[in-house]
Amino acid sequence: MTMFHFFNCAILTFGPHAVYYSATPLSEYDTLGTSVKAALVYLGTALVKLVCLATFLQVSENDGFDPYQELLKALIGFIDVAGLYFALTQLTHRNISQNHKFQAVGLGWAFADSVLHRLAPLWVGARGLEFTWDYILQGLEANANLVLSISLAALGSLIWLRKNKPKTLIPIIYACAGIVATMPSITSYLRRGLGWHFPKVVGFELFTSLVMAFISWQLFSACQRPYV
Amino acid sequence: MVLSKNSGGHRGMQESMYSVIALVFILVACVELCDAAAAIDVYRLIQYDMSGSAYGSRFAVLNHHAAALHFPPGADLSRAVLIIPLRELNITFVREYINQKKPLGGLLFLLPDIFSFENGGNKQVHEKEKLKNLLAELEQLLIHANIPYPVYFAFENDEIDTVLADIKKNDAIGQPATATTGGYKLVIPTPEPKKVASPTITNIQGWLSGLKVDGDTNQLPTIAIVASYDTFGAAPALSVGSDSNGSGVVALLEIARLFSLLYSNPKTRGRYNLLFGLTSGGPYNYNGTQKWLRSFDQRLRESIDYAICLNSIGSWDNELWIHVSKPPENAYIKQIFEGFSNVAEELHIKVGLKHKKINISNPRVAWEHEQFSRLRVTAATLSEISTAPELLQGTGGLFDSRQFVNETAITRGVKLVAESLARHIYGHQGKNVQIFADGGSLAVNPAYIQSWLDLLSQTPRVAPFLSKNDPFVMALQKELADHTDEVNMQHEVLEGVFTFYDSTSARLNIYQVASVTFDLLLLLVLGSYLIVLFSFLVITTRGLDDLISLFRRPPSRKVKTA
Repeated sequence: MTMFHFFNCAILTFGPHAVYYSATPLSEYDTLGTSVKAALVYLGTALVKLVCLATFLQVSENDGFDPYQELLKALIGFIDVAGLYFALTQLTHRNISQNHKFQAVGLGWAFADSVLHRLAPLWVGARGLEFTWDYILQGLEANANLVLSISLAALGSLIWLRKNKPKTLIPIIYACAGIVATMPSITSYLRRGLGWHFPKVVGFELFTSLVMAFISWQLFSACQRPYV
Repeated sequence: MVLSKNSGGHRGMQESMYSVIALVFILVACVELCDAAAAIDVYRLIQYDMSGSAYGSRFAVLNHHAAALHFPPGADLSRAVLIIPLRELNITFVREYINQKKPLGGLLFLLPDIFSFENGGNKQVHEKEKLKNLLAELEQLLIHANIPYPVYFAFENDEIDTVLADIKKNDAIGQPATATTGGYKLVIPTPEPKKVASPTITNIQGWLSGLKVDGDTNQLPTIAIVASYDTFGAAPALSVGSDSNGSGVVALLEIARLFSLLYSNPKTRGRYNLLFGLTSGGPYNYNGTQKWLRSFDQRLRESIDYAICLNSIGSWDNELWIHVSKPPENAYIKQIFEGFSNVAEELHIKVGLKHKKINISNPRVAWEHEQFSRLRVTAATLSEISTAPELLQGTGGLFDSRQFVNETAITRGVKLVAESLARHIYGHQGKNVQIFADGGSLAVNPAYIQSWLDLLSQTPRVAPFLSKNDPFVMALQKELADHTDEVNMQHEVLEGVFTFYDSTSARLNIYQVASVTFDLLLLLVLGSYLIVLFSFLVITTRGLDDLISLFRRPPSRKVKTA
């Protein structure tokens, strides 16, 4: 049963990425190369973040919420945004429309994030005899992360790739991008500072990811509309 | 330029792919980490053969679901481990299970903390005596039964208490734990038990020479003081035998210390040699004592005036017994008994004399002095026990822990023996002389007794599991060497009737497991979630027609030529 449980949690964690790729027109336009490149950029970003964290962060003895440390972590988190910028703008992509570009980049980004952060604990832990809900919750978290990554990629492509945007929407775009980018800090604050349990945090992540996805979808389609 | 960039990118990608594959291999090779709900130390029931018949628990590996008492009647327990706390033990139930050979996956007994020698300490517990008697009864039942499944003992602690409460709750709902309904799984990964090859028994003797007057060529008479130091119990890793015979060993060491003080000065050295013997193999019809005596020189054996054997003098109030095998009318016996009675009267102790004839054809040796008597040496055993114990009974089992031993009892016993011996040695019989008076330099040292008793109460001493160079045996040898002139160790092999098997303690892992049905349900839910997600994405991005077209077979494109 334990391999069975591992298999279940694995399809929960990685299944949606595969489903997203095959269900949307991404598979038709063969944007796998883009996704793979985005995944590699994520790996590079993760390495840079690791080095910065190791250099600047102090290890705290207790598990409490230290505002200064969290601020530092948030700042380092912006390296994520820089990485996404690099992936969206600097890499050469085949001739794919912007619509699909951000989806492919977001997908690759989220897939790399899941593999890096969730595959190892899953392999080591879910195969054991002991049963916990953690791995299922982790899988749900991966789903929320996928949605968030795609939203962030959408907003990023709006900010950096689209030159003509309606003036009124610009501050909203930046605000939403800011919120999505700081999601990790927000969740860690909830977990450490307010002491929320893992299921609650995952629920919050799912909810906000759906909300942000909806908002960015609206923004994106608003910017698509040709305006006078 | 684009081409070179592409090839460069390809190479980079290849390298990272290799590192990823390498990482994957490392992870696959990782040993499954143990992530149990609880992990506790458990101690196995002894497994031994006696005269070819098998006794004790014959298996060690455990990998079954846990169940508690009050399981639903008719439930199949052949793949379940029953967890029984001692407080809730119903001995008739266990006896019925064992005698009727009902199939069971395993047994785990939970003992209250007071029997633990690590933190037993001085806790006051309700109904200590009742638990002690219950445990003694359980032990006797388990030792003499042949049990074809693993039996383990563990001490109660918070973790296992919560686990047990959880199991009881699940049982109350009416769901016995099987492979499909989840629950707790108990796993003990230990190798199969093997025979202990050539178990050794080590006898330690200390010799204190008496004062030899110049010109006297005769051998000085000898008095022997003997105690057996090994134990036998249901769980060999827990058999510390504080009373049987830790109290005897402690008393012997203290008597040795007192007489070494007396004998250190030639002016106070007596005209008797003193021979102190710490023998092993006590529970097995005093096999070690027999081998020890057989190894003596004939002259030495004949020079022994008498021997006093000490057996369980740690938990008595006012009455001690002297057991003899020669009839009480015998002059020597009378002398010994009178000496002891006189001292006992002064110390307000009542001493009784018990006579048990020995039957040479019967191999059963109930008291240590019987081994002496079989070789025609006068001997007696001083004990708080009034009736002769059966084979493997009263040999320091699970219930015999530090809690139930009283240092003052041992102190008084030491005084009794020491005074009686001294009066005999120095010829002060009948006189009211206190050689080892309290407060003097020769007073019995309660701190010494207590520290040695504490050490003995933390050392399991089942002889087949004590190697030749065991630190405890070395410690006894060193201590005796401090108090005597000459110390000898005799190593023998415990052959013959008994065979022992190892694997006496292990680590139990308790896992909380989910059932197969749970995972099947989860698979169903996930499958439908992914299908819904797929359809949702197809509909929103490509349109409903595309979704329907996925399921319709593409129409044949054969163009019929007219």
